[in-house]
Amino acid sequence: MTTTPILRLRGIDKSFGAVQVLHDVSFDVRPGEVTALVGDNGAGKSTLVKCIGGIHPIDGGEYWFDGERVQVHSPREAAALGVEIVYQDLALCDNLDIVQNMFLGREKRRGLVLDDTTMEEMAARTLEGLSVRTVTSIRQQVSSLSGGQRQTVAIAKAVLWNSKVVVLDEPTAALGVAQTAQVLELVRRLADNGLAVVLISHNMNDVFAVSDRIAALYLGRMAAQVSTSDVTYSQVVELITSGRSGDLGLAHSNGVTA
Amino acid sequence: MKAGPSQEEIRRHNLGTLLRHVHIGGSMSRAVLAERMGLNRSTILGLVSELGAAGLVREELPRETGRAGRPSLVVRPESDRVYVLAFDVGVDRMSAARIGLGGVFLDRREIPVLPGPRDAGKVAEVLAGCALDMVGAARRGTHCVGVAAAVRGTVRRSDGLVRAAPYLGWEDEEFGEDLMRRLGLGLPVSVGNEASLGALAEHLRGAGTGCQDLVYLHGDIGIGGGVVTGGQLLGGDCGYGGEIGHMVVNPRDGRPCGCGARGCLEAEAGERALLEAARRDPSSTGREAVHAVVEAADRGDIVARAALRDVGDWLGIGVANLVNVLNPRTVVFGGTLREVFLGAAAQIRSRINRLALTASRENLRLRVGELGDDAVLVGAAELAFSEILVGPLETLARAGARTA
Ligand SMILES: Nc1ncnc2c1ncn2[C@@H]1O[C@H](COP(=O)(O)OP(=O)(O)O)[C@@H](O)[C@H]1O
Ligand SMILES: [Mg+2]
Ligand SMILES: [Zn+2]
Repeated sequence: MTTTPILRLRGIDKSFGAVQVLHDVSFDVRPGEVTALVGDNGAGKSTLVKCIGGIHPIDGGEYWFDGERVQVHSPREAAALGVEIVYQDLALCDNLDIVQNMFLGREKRRGLVLDDTTMEEMAARTLEGLSVRTVTSIRQQVSSLSGGQRQTVAIAKAVLWNSKVVVLDEPTAALGVAQTAQVLELVRRLADNGLAVVLISHNMNDVFAVSDRIAALYLGRMAAQVSTSDVTYSQVVELITSGRSGDLGLAHSNGVTA
Repeated sequence: MKAGPSQEEIRRHNLGTLLRHVHIGGSMSRAVLAERMGLNRSTILGLVSELGAAGLVREELPRETGRAGRPSLVVRPESDRVYVLAFDVGVDRMSAARIGLGGVFLDRREIPVLPGPRDAGKVAEVLAGCALDMVGAARRGTHCVGVAAAVRGTVRRSDGLVRAAPYLGWEDEEFGEDLMRRLGLGLPVSVGNEASLGALAEHLRGAGTGCQDLVYLHGDIGIGGGVVTGGQLLGGDCGYGGEIGHMVVNPRDGRPCGCGARGCLEAEAGERALLEAARRDPSSTGREAVHAVVEAADRGDIVARAALRDVGDWLGIGVANLVNVLNPRTVVFGGTLREVFLGAAAQIRSRINRLALTASRENLRLRVGELGDDAVLVGAAELAFSEILVGPLETLARAGARTA
């Protein structure tokens, strides 16, 4: 049942000045699946995501998309491929309504001019396609929404343009139990609708509840990428904290002082 | 040698199949129906006209397509005209709903009750009262075409006798018969097990749509189970199959179960086990109490965390057994188990991964129910719709004769 990856990174290196943050990272993301990206604080998850999204240029390595080697130098180029990132700080405008937020900065990027009715229709159809029932009106101001609803709007914004890969950087970090459940269900539905989804989370229950695969970063290296039906909680925790677990993970302490 | 089906039988079958397609799949064009049913367009046209003339479907323009050009008509089920009555005898509430063709809730009533034993006659009286009220409020010219009720207990398939429903104190209750008499609609009342109906609902309209092999676990006072295998609800010899809550996982020193055995999954992983392990006030039970434990665990409470880990462990053991025996594609956690799953998924999945056979588990999907608290009612409605989906015109004619 293994599908071919739509996004494939090979040997990615990334440094900020003298500080190396990612080293020789390989990463595969498949359509119809949720790939959980896990790792300790500072392991490099957000940096990897920003490389995928074209915010940070990569120093070395290969970026493959849909079977072709590509260069991604800006968020615009990532979006053109169908790659959308929902960053930790959401970047929604409180004083605008849901529709305005979903199209904010996007019309121009796509070189389109859309009228209000069309935008409203597209927003409504997207939310409906995601079975979002928690939002009462799409003309509601974003300031009136709960944390879970804001995540929902940010995610809907990311899938509005038929994107193929959606990356969510810790979407449930600030949410309570009920709203986390809503967001997780949405994440699962995106993948079940055929999208490739990357989910960054610290919560192992969230990871095991919705992911099909787990990729563990350890000190800027990809320790392992495994199927969620093949590993246990303690193995994943070991991969996160020491980069290896039994015969899974990095062979040596990878030259980094422990 | 048996003769092949007659023209009449084939037509009846096709009418039923077409109606089922729009009932489950929603509005679709004749071209799509032709493709899905493997029939040519003129046959589909004939079937649609016949169902349309009877008032079961209508052809109309789709809502908006967003595409230019002339949109093609879609066939839509007549949800306002043809409906069923569905009942759920829950633990802390009784529900009745009037549900239209296509699965649309047209009207519903909820009666909160205190958990505990309840007289079957009284339950039937209250539910029949609600139902007749809803039937009375329905527009003229609408037809009730089936009735079904869900109970948390064992139900004999042949006659719907409720053999046992411990939470209500019922034993051998002719609940369906009684309900039918009180309704006086001239329609039999089908009775089903709540989790089996929940399984059916999630299979047809929820998290298991398109999945032919599914296990549904429903948590409330106990753990109910329903199994769909090869697209069919598993009932066993007499209809009692699928009692996953009474699968014995810990027989030697397990906790006593309401059924008299020890170490049933329900006893180890049900609501009571969770609340006791979390040292909660024994007087608070039900959804809110379970929610409070999951919230406490999320905030870091170690007692609540340990309780969820224990319960998750037993659930994982239970599901691993089911995976080995049934090889389901999807396991759906419904009722209060939805929250328990989200709060203990790491434990549950790890157990399954350690215990179940590699080949049986590798494509396994764990999902939460999509229909929420309505799963059981939706399933009951599907049971009530079964007759009209087999013989649409005959069933409707009978309903018309009754209301005339
Ligand atoms: N723009 C930046 N400039 C310099 N260092 C950075 C920058 N962004 C991240 N880092 C460093 O890179 C490392 C990885 O950070 P990050 O990718 O945010 O990790 P994670 O998301 O896994 O917690 C950290 O040591 C962090 O301080
Ligand atoms: Mg980060
Ligand atoms: Zn038992």
